[in-house]
Amino acid sequence: MTRSLKWALALCVLLVLPFAVAACGGDDDDGGTDEQATDQGTPAQGQKGGTLVSLWAGDVDFIDPGSTYYQMGTQIVRATQKTLYTPKIDDATIAEPDMAEADPEVAEDGCTVTVRIKTGVKFSPPVDREVTSADVKYAIERGFFNTVNNGYAGAYFGSVDGAEVGVDPGTEIPGIETPDDSTVVFNLKPAEGEDRCPGGVVAGALQMPLSAPVPKEYAAPHDEKNPSAYGQNQVATGPYMIENDASGKAIGYEAGRRIHLVRNPNWDESLDNDPAFVDEIDIRQGNDDPTVMSREIINGESMINGDQPPPPAVLKQLLTRDKDKLALVPSGGGRWISMNTTVEPFDDINVRKAVAAGMDREALRLTRGGEVVGDIPTHYIPPGLVGFEEAGGMEGFGVDFMANPKGDKNLSAEYFKEAGFESGKYEGGEELLMVGDNEGVGAQTAQVAAQQLEEMGFKVQLRQVTHDAMYTKFCNRPKADVALCPNVGWLKDFPDPQTYLDPTFNGNNILPQGNSNWSELDVPEINQAMADAALLTDPAERAEAWAEIDRMVTEQAPAIMWIWDKNSNIKSENVGGVVDEDNGLWSLSHTSVR
Amino acid sequence: MAAYIVRRLVWVIFLLFVVTLITFVVFTVLPAVDPALLRAGRQPTPQLIESIREALGLDEPAPIQFINYLGQILPFVGGDGVNFGYSYQSNTEVLPQILDRMPTTLFLTGGAVVLWLAIGIPIGMVSAVRTGSLLDRVLMGGALVAISAPVYFLGLVALYLFDDSIGRFPLLPGSGAYQQATSIFGKAEALIMPWCVLAAAFAAIYARFLRGNLIDTMQEDYIRTARAKGLSERRVTFRHGVRAAITPIVTLLGLDIGLLLGGAILTETVFNIQGIGRYAYDAIVRFDLPVVQGTVLFGAFFIVIMSLIVDILYAFVDPRVRY
Repeated sequence: MTRSLKWALALCVLLVLPFAVAACGGDDDDGGTDEQATDQGTPAQGQKGGTLVSLWAGDVDFIDPGSTYYQMGTQIVRATQKTLYTPKIDDATIAEPDMAEADPEVAEDGCTVTVRIKTGVKFSPPVDREVTSADVKYAIERGFFNTVNNGYAGAYFGSVDGAEVGVDPGTEIPGIETPDDSTVVFNLKPAEGEDRCPGGVVAGALQMPLSAPVPKEYAAPHDEKNPSAYGQNQVATGPYMIENDASGKAIGYEAGRRIHLVRNPNWDESLDNDPAFVDEIDIRQGNDDPTVMSREIINGESMINGDQPPPPAVLKQLLTRDKDKLALVPSGGGRWISMNTTVEPFDDINVRKAVAAGMDREALRLTRGGEVVGDIPTHYIPPGLVGFEEAGGMEGFGVDFMANPKGDKNLSAEYFKEAGFESGKYEGGEELLMVGDNEGVGAQTAQVAAQQLEEMGFKVQLRQVTHDAMYTKFCNRPKADVALCPNVGWLKDFPDPQTYLDPTFNGNNILPQGNSNWSELDVPEINQAMADAALLTDPAERAEAWAEIDRMVTEQAPAIMWIWDKNSNIKSENVGGVVDEDNGLWSLSHTSVR
Repeated sequence: MAAYIVRRLVWVIFLLFVVTLITFVVFTVLPAVDPALLRAGRQPTPQLIESIREALGLDEPAPIQFINYLGQILPFVGGDGVNFGYSYQSNTEVLPQILDRMPTTLFLTGGAVVLWLAIGIPIGMVSAVRTGSLLDRVLMGGALVAISAPVYFLGLVALYLFDDSIGRFPLLPGSGAYQQATSIFGKAEALIMPWCVLAAAFAAIYARFLRGNLIDTMQEDYIRTARAKGLSERRVTFRHGVRAAITPIVTLLGLDIGLLLGGAILTETVFNIQGIGRYAYDAIVRFDLPVVQGTVLFGAFFIVIMSLIVDILYAFVDPRVRY
């Protein structure tokens, strides 16, 4: 070997060495284990003081409490605002009064909902005055303004007399009355053809961020702008507020970069359920790489994760070595592969049952990290939701095609035969369009699903697009005629089963755009059952009624329900983490640092 | 020269118009997603979608939307000064957000430029002077590796090795450190790794480029004449060789600076540096059209302006160039 060649080889070794060192240290990546970890700190315990740091990848959907609809925005609202009601921190099925003084009074016919609010709660600076019922009225009215355009105002408060989506700023809703400074009365319109109103749902929806009071005299000028600028100038009623200047401008909100929460100087601990241990909360955004983020939290101090779970390799490490830094909590949601009941052959219930029976759902779950990341469902209503126990809990109703998490090929074959396919597999030659995610674990799930369907005899054209395009251009548009959507799922809006089943399986909710009934299930008996259940006001009756609807939907096999999600929450060693069981995330106003 | 500059400025305006139009067409006429539906949430009634369309101006025909947008961004036309619109995602004004992030991108770009010039030019000169030697091969081999390794990959490896909170050899502030730094020195320290990562490929390109140019230049007749006149080899190389060989690098440098001022997307994303590049990346992912348009316009502006500046500088650097 010539001398120059030896030197060249030595150089190559030197150049490659750092990369080899980096690679050798990596964790293997083979999914979850049998062990599960929970670290649900006791809500009332914790040390006062300190700064809690939360690492996020993205931003809130909207910082305005009147606009926000998704989990991360709700997490901020729970810390900065007092909604009328809020799910109990360690039992999401119980709605606790927060801004309200007591439970709502719902009339027998469901057509009025009366709420009395606490006295003595004050807005943060620069408003600095006591909250009145007029502020609650304005908060809900502004959700209908065309400069705010709240995403669920119409769905849950559209039955309020006089409520209309897309009105000009300042438009009042006559159906919301405030007979005195402490009382709000919602007057509802009866459902079409009925003499009852959906008061039960409205009462439940008062847990949503929209019910957080907003001072009209301060917010109205901001709401006149298009889009409303109130979010960037908001005031708080909760233990924390977004840091602001003297004029009220939320300088602590740097879109896409940071949200800085400080103590609300006007917060009265005696009027709140939240202990609010830490002095400041620093939400740092842009942490895209989940491995880097996770390691920073695990190795660092006073940190928690936000919108991004740890990757499977880190999860495994935590389960084996650092269980106390991990909390696995039901998210209150689930994921499924929808089968479009208007597209052949999924218009045949036996074909749908055959597919559901034959699908190896454990393999699908493995793409997300294995059994620690969720449970295999036996029906639709997920754990943590009212109606779950009434629907049979983890055991479910005992439908045969959902009995085996690994799939039952024999049962699948029987159902295919009942559908007329004597071979026990699908025999049609047409290509079925399946549209799924093009990146991340969603892409893997879609590929595994497609492969399993092909083993059942289907010809699948798997088209993988961005997550947003998957929804807005394909799966949420009935005209697109997508046969299968493997990456869909749903989270409750508040812990009422109507918020889970109604948008997703009610035939009357099949929309031309933004449709969430991906299966386009339209069974008159189920639709009627939902319409009847929506008008029930007694919580126990609602739970039973929706559990029965869950059974009816499950028996239709409109989808392959493959996971009841769990959220993986991680924290640093010195954090006393408490998870909000409603949204499955760390509670900013209950978590402490040591 | 003045007439040339005026002609180029007119050309700049035309180019920016074309860039704006193309961006608008890509994200409006050929959309991958409907921004109104993204904004509408999970249970969008037709009335809500319609209300959002109206609020965002999406109910107007595409040409009207484009004209409205031009009216907003042109000074003295819209009545509100220059307005790049509001983010569909955060409802914040786009232009102040871009300007707020500008210093970050400037700092990142400036430091990287200094670093890659400080590394690339000496390496290029040494390699050219010692063509064919072991040193030349080592340096050019290293340059090839630096060019080949994607910025994203290099950045992640750098974090895994040297990040002071998660690295194998904790040495330097890592991801997100720039945001947390409060002093200029703290920010500079937080940018050491991003500077190195960003500068690596550019230094390598400049080194190879200068090496090639200098080798060619050193073959010229006037170089032989200079040697024949008895000038020292050092003087011949630096005073005559490098000076001629470095001229094309001015052009390259201008364009690269222009490109990076539009946002070093990959570097900013890996190291969580909230500059214009990161802002643009988040907007693209979320189909936030006003932000995309604003950042593209900004990026295009810097590229064409830097191109103009480079061409003007050329006239001073190279006496043969006259406009």
